[in-house]
Amino acid sequence: MDRVQPSGENYANPRTCFFHVLFKAAALAFYVLSALFVSSFVIIFVVTVFLAALDFWVVKNVSGRILVGLRWWNEIDEQGESVWKFQCLDQESLARMNKKDSWLFWWTLYLTAVSWIFLGVFSLIRFQADYLLVVGVCLSLSIANIVGFTKCRKDAKKQIQQFATKTIASQFTSSLQSAFSVV
Amino acid sequence: MSHSDTIPLHPSSQSDIDEIENLINADVHSVSVLPARPPSPPRVSIPISHSPSPLPPYQKVPPSASPPPVVPAVPAAAAAPAGSSRIGISSDAFGSPPDTLTEPVWDTVKRDLARIVSNLKLVVFPNPYREDPGRALRDWDLWGPFFFIVFLGLTLSWSASAKKSEVFAVAFAILAAGAIILTLNVLLLGGHIIFFQSLSLLGYCLFPLAIGALICMLEGNVIIKIVVVSITLAWSCWAAYPFMSAAVNPRRKALALYPVFLMYISVAFFIIAID
Repeated sequence: MDRVQPSGENYANPRTCFFHVLFKAAALAFYVLSALFVSSFVIIFVVTVFLAALDFWVVKNVSGRILVGLRWWNEIDEQGESVWKFQCLDQESLARMNKKDSWLFWWTLYLTAVSWIFLGVFSLIRFQADYLLVVGVCLSLSIANIVGFTKCRKDAKKQIQQFATKTIASQFTSSLQSAFSVV
Repeated sequence: MSHSDTIPLHPSSQSDIDEIENLINADVHSVSVLPARPPSPPRVSIPISHSPSPLPPYQKVPPSASPPPVVPAVPAAAAAPAGSSRIGISSDAFGSPPDTLTEPVWDTVKRDLARIVSNLKLVVFPNPYREDPGRALRDWDLWGPFFFIVFLGLTLSWSASAKKSEVFAVAFAILAAGAIILTLNVLLLGGHIIFFQSLSLLGYCLFPLAIGALICMLEGNVIIKIVVVSITLAWSCWAAYPFMSAAVNPRRKALALYPVFLMYISVAFFIIAID
């Protein structure tokens, strides 16, 4: 306890982190190991894609919210145009987020995509079009999450800056006004 | 006098920003209900068992221009991952609009499941919103199409006596690629449709064919298969028609609809012919 880690404390949400990693690892592991145990491609496909889809949902709806306080989704507005909405927690909550949690979140996100690319190259070399299909689906799910959360994070930073600028400006104005009213 | 560009924003002025924010928040927010617990990072876990429940009102979240100024609600979640039902107590600040960022996980699951069911009802069954297709599938989602395509592939694969894997892979690839290509077709014809909305729609319209495939799997007689598949094919085409035709110029309606019908007819032949 006398050594302070740079990240501060342990994982704040161990169960969420666990689930965040669980489905990704399960999908990758099943895909890689299934060739040894399961002979039917259908089962490999369905289980892997199902795990990848579950992982996508978990990351988008649960661990994104809890580990890094970000959320993104797509809406269709009144005019029928598609709008990407981003939402983040307010700034003090964001600052309170556990560093280790967010480190885990981002790094596993990137690592999964890289692993799928790697496996995709493998199946490409071996000319297995159906395995390439599986890899393609899982990869597109991972990339969708990465893109969504990266955009969300950029948007959150922009919002924080705007908000801070606005509050500083309004505070400045009100203090100026009070200064002038005193005079 | 504009202040916004004269005030430099330094990352090191974090504490100042927090201080100012607290001052602002203290003025602006008269009501903020804090949860009964001392604020701790929210702990939730994932429910494994799902059961569809009546539709909770789908909350539209306010535009992202104003970040929700609430203390993260602390949902009291006590559940074993083995799938027991969940106790979720969430408290938001009453002054702010309902907020999906801090809701309990179970709410998210219920909301998504309800959305799937409502999308299915909107697309496949007769309802008053069919005249306004853009509005009908406003809350698109891809879970329904995913389930239906996988289900259709599995049914076809199960019905096949040989080459099961190829049947499944081909069915999945054709349906998925077909949906994408049909969407591109509409877009290239100058139609107004959102890419994901159209994918979602074409996937949901597979529901009747999936039922038809299930019945055909269980039933061996060719005549019955033909009848059942024709009925479900007609149902699928009827379901897809208003959305596709509304999306394009009336003179190009046939050009947009013909490939859709062609795809469904080929799937129907596939279902009948498989043995």
